[in-house]
Amino acid sequence: MKKLLVCSLLLAGAFAARSAEFTIPIEQYQLKNGLRVILSKDNAVPVVTVYIIYDVGARSEEKGRTGFAHLFEHMMFEGSANAPKGTHFAAVESNGGTLNGSTHPDFTDYFEELPSNKLATALWLESDRMRSLSINDENLKNQKEAVKQERRLSFDNQPYATAIVDAWPGLMYRNWQSSHSLIGSFEDLNAASVADVTKFFRTYYAPNNAALVIVGDIQIPETRKLVETYFGDIPSQAAAKRPDLTEPAGFEARQQAYKDPLARVPGVVVGYPGPKRRSPDYYALNMIDAILTAGDSARLRLDLVKGKQSVIQYEANLGWPFASALDYRDPEPYAIFLLYNPRFTAAQMVSQVQDEIAKLQNEPVDAKELERVKTTMRAGRIKELQSTMNRARALGQYAVTDGDPGLINTELDAMTAVTAAQVQAAAKKYLTPDRRAVLEIQPAPAQAPPGAAKEGK
Amino acid sequence: MNRFFAAMFLSALALVAQPVDRTKAPPTPPIPEYKLPPVYETKLPNGLSVVVVEDARFPLVSARLAFQAGSKFDPQDRPGLAEAVASVLTEGTKSRTSRQISEETDSMGGSLSAGAGADGLTLSGSALSDNLPRLLTLMADVAMNANFPQDEVALYQQNRIQSLRAERSQPAYLAQEKIAAVVYGSSPYAHIGPTEAAVKSLDPKTLAAFKDARLVPNNATLLLIGKLPARAALLKNIEQQYGAWQQKALPAAPKYDFPAPKRQIVLVDRPGSVQADIHVGRLAPTRASADFFPLMVGINVLGGGANSRMFKDIREKQGFAYDAHSEYDTHRESGDLQAITQVRNEVFEPALKAVLAEMDQMAADPVPADELSGVKNFMAGMYLLRLETQEGVVSQLSNMKILGLPNSFLETYTARVRAVEPAQMLGVAKKYVASGDAAIVVVGDASKIGETLKKFGEVTIAKAE
Repeated sequence: MKKLLVCSLLLAGAFAARSAEFTIPIEQYQLKNGLRVILSKDNAVPVVTVYIIYDVGARSEEKGRTGFAHLFEHMMFEGSANAPKGTHFAAVESNGGTLNGSTHPDFTDYFEELPSNKLATALWLESDRMRSLSINDENLKNQKEAVKQERRLSFDNQPYATAIVDAWPGLMYRNWQSSHSLIGSFEDLNAASVADVTKFFRTYYAPNNAALVIVGDIQIPETRKLVETYFGDIPSQAAAKRPDLTEPAGFEARQQAYKDPLARVPGVVVGYPGPKRRSPDYYALNMIDAILTAGDSARLRLDLVKGKQSVIQYEANLGWPFASALDYRDPEPYAIFLLYNPRFTAAQMVSQVQDEIAKLQNEPVDAKELERVKTTMRAGRIKELQSTMNRARALGQYAVTDGDPGLINTELDAMTAVTAAQVQAAAKKYLTPDRRAVLEIQPAPAQAPPGAAKEGK
Repeated sequence: MNRFFAAMFLSALALVAQPVDRTKAPPTPPIPEYKLPPVYETKLPNGLSVVVVEDARFPLVSARLAFQAGSKFDPQDRPGLAEAVASVLTEGTKSRTSRQISEETDSMGGSLSAGAGADGLTLSGSALSDNLPRLLTLMADVAMNANFPQDEVALYQQNRIQSLRAERSQPAYLAQEKIAAVVYGSSPYAHIGPTEAAVKSLDPKTLAAFKDARLVPNNATLLLIGKLPARAALLKNIEQQYGAWQQKALPAAPKYDFPAPKRQIVLVDRPGSVQADIHVGRLAPTRASADFFPLMVGINVLGGGANSRMFKDIREKQGFAYDAHSEYDTHRESGDLQAITQVRNEVFEPALKAVLAEMDQMAADPVPADELSGVKNFMAGMYLLRLETQEGVVSQLSNMKILGLPNSFLETYTARVRAVEPAQMLGVAKKYVASGDAAIVVVGDASKIGETLKKFGEVTIAKAE
């Protein structure tokens, strides 16, 4: 540490980047039944995260069963042979932990984060439901209601959410596996049967279709023994069939306007089909995303929020809205979601975004800016990995999607190795108006009867 | 990686025999002890309190400048002033433009933002640890020399009006807004945000006057946690950066007239709502009160997470709602507790009855021992989990300063939770949790639920806009 104060304008990016190196320890192996196991020891705080990722998500749903993957996730909290309904919540929470599950397009995950003395409790719970989930009519009926209520609360009664979850995938994709509503319709949820749940469980919730990650205050030999004890004799199943997610060749520009009775401020989504995961273009687009949206000096903030004063809020990601660079599995878009000042039109906002992209296409990003963005990216990554939960999530994702949890220590280098020329080339290749989808979300007050808006209410 | 928290680790694992008995939860040792890491505190001659905590696990530093300057100091005709000061604080100083501040922040691998709560206004910064001197320089410049440029204030006004409209389209916001007004009456805690009119009336001078009066060293604490340089060098650096900051006499404190809790029913009409947001709440004591711990444990029994009574009954058993929980928020001068759920219109009546019944049950019978020990473990574990990251530790410490509590509050938290007895809980539940004096605020479609709500008493209808 320098004792003298450095002038604030000195460039410190390269220095900071070098000194920020740190390594997450990884122990990985596979049980005989195919369960992948990743252990990462960190005894600093007496906390442990147990994280299981199953390699199935909403894009594996069948027609007539939209929302099923999510409904199934709820069923995982309905009890198992030795841990009846309520035991899971009670055992984790009464011991001071937190738990949850979440359903994504291509995977579903479950976690417990708890004081480290309770590691065995979490393994007991997770193994019991992987081995012997309680699937019956009563549980299914109950969870259909819970899922419907979740839809009412988190989607139907929230501005923007219904447009994003129901309309956006239909605009971005042609293949039904990707284009259907991932939260599902009430009709399809009602149609789900106990037989559907049983089949899904057998097919996808097998040890050979999952990875178990344990991060935090553990000792490796004892933890290995515990994992073997609880998971070792769960039988494996025939490898699950992957959905065919192939999109028809040739993406055509698309546009749709969605009237949202709950929105008060207009919004617009601008998206483009993205590249293959971990291809050079993927890293280049990830850098483009950071240039546009990461940190306070991001271009969208300086140029549109501050400069043109058109944008109020923005978010963007590789894989928006359901994924990020970490869990991106193609086909996925790169998309930007803006809330904007109603002084502007949606068409103006789209062209402002396209102008920002044109700058990336027409001139290389300058070295100082690129260095700053890389520093922001690096710091963001270190901050994120402070929590055992985020470390577990990243390890699980790299294990299942890429077959290599070690990427947690090397992927940042790949992400920050992108050059100005690669940024420019990727902007030209991917982010052009002829391969752009646009979803306008227009405020439409519910009180107005149909047609009233036209008459100038 | 060094041992930041000197925790005792008892191996859970040796206790598990093979073959394992799967029919019940495995035996495990007690929850590990937590000791707050060493907290070094000092004060500069100008009155600035300084708090330093070493945490070298990651090459990061997190910093806070916490002021007693929250929204409770908003003038009556300008709700949202503290929030506006916080929002524009980082948008320009005498020597740095907004762009320069954001580029400087990002080039440190950092972040810089300010926010205002009910009691405190906090400037938060972080950086890769090698850039700590630059972070301290930048934060000092912002705290001392923010000048609220006209164009930045205008942009804030324009965007805040839009975001306020967006917030007010959310039923949860409308409910929180109304219940704060009902519970806190005419006191400064009664507003949770600005009004459009107040935002429109802002100007640089008003913001600067608030800052000049309250963002002074004798009203502030500087907190640092992370991978830090040697103590002496660090303190010398802080002295150089913050020593010349002029102290000032502080303006008079606002008056707090908290109304006596009484049953009132308010329906915020939101035509088209497919569900009803139910908030039942009332005034509650501060953390300094002897009632705090028994009440906090009780509120967790009632609705703290998925193992609580509200969750188990209203969500799991009845299937009325996706979410059913309770909250107990404390400010420096007062607090409030609430039981909250969101239900579809058809089950509105039984759901509201169930919420009131669960509250009354807390005041009727003592909490059984095994349920109580589960809740205490839950609270102890949650507390541990919150302290996992630098941000977690610095937020807790900063909170102590803003609420005027000693650090020992954190150190003794778990022990005091464990010491709570069922009889004490019953006593405070009769005083605060019994639903008789609680206000009922519902956000929903009056044409759908208005008549039903009248069964619970006289209803005042408010417009959602």
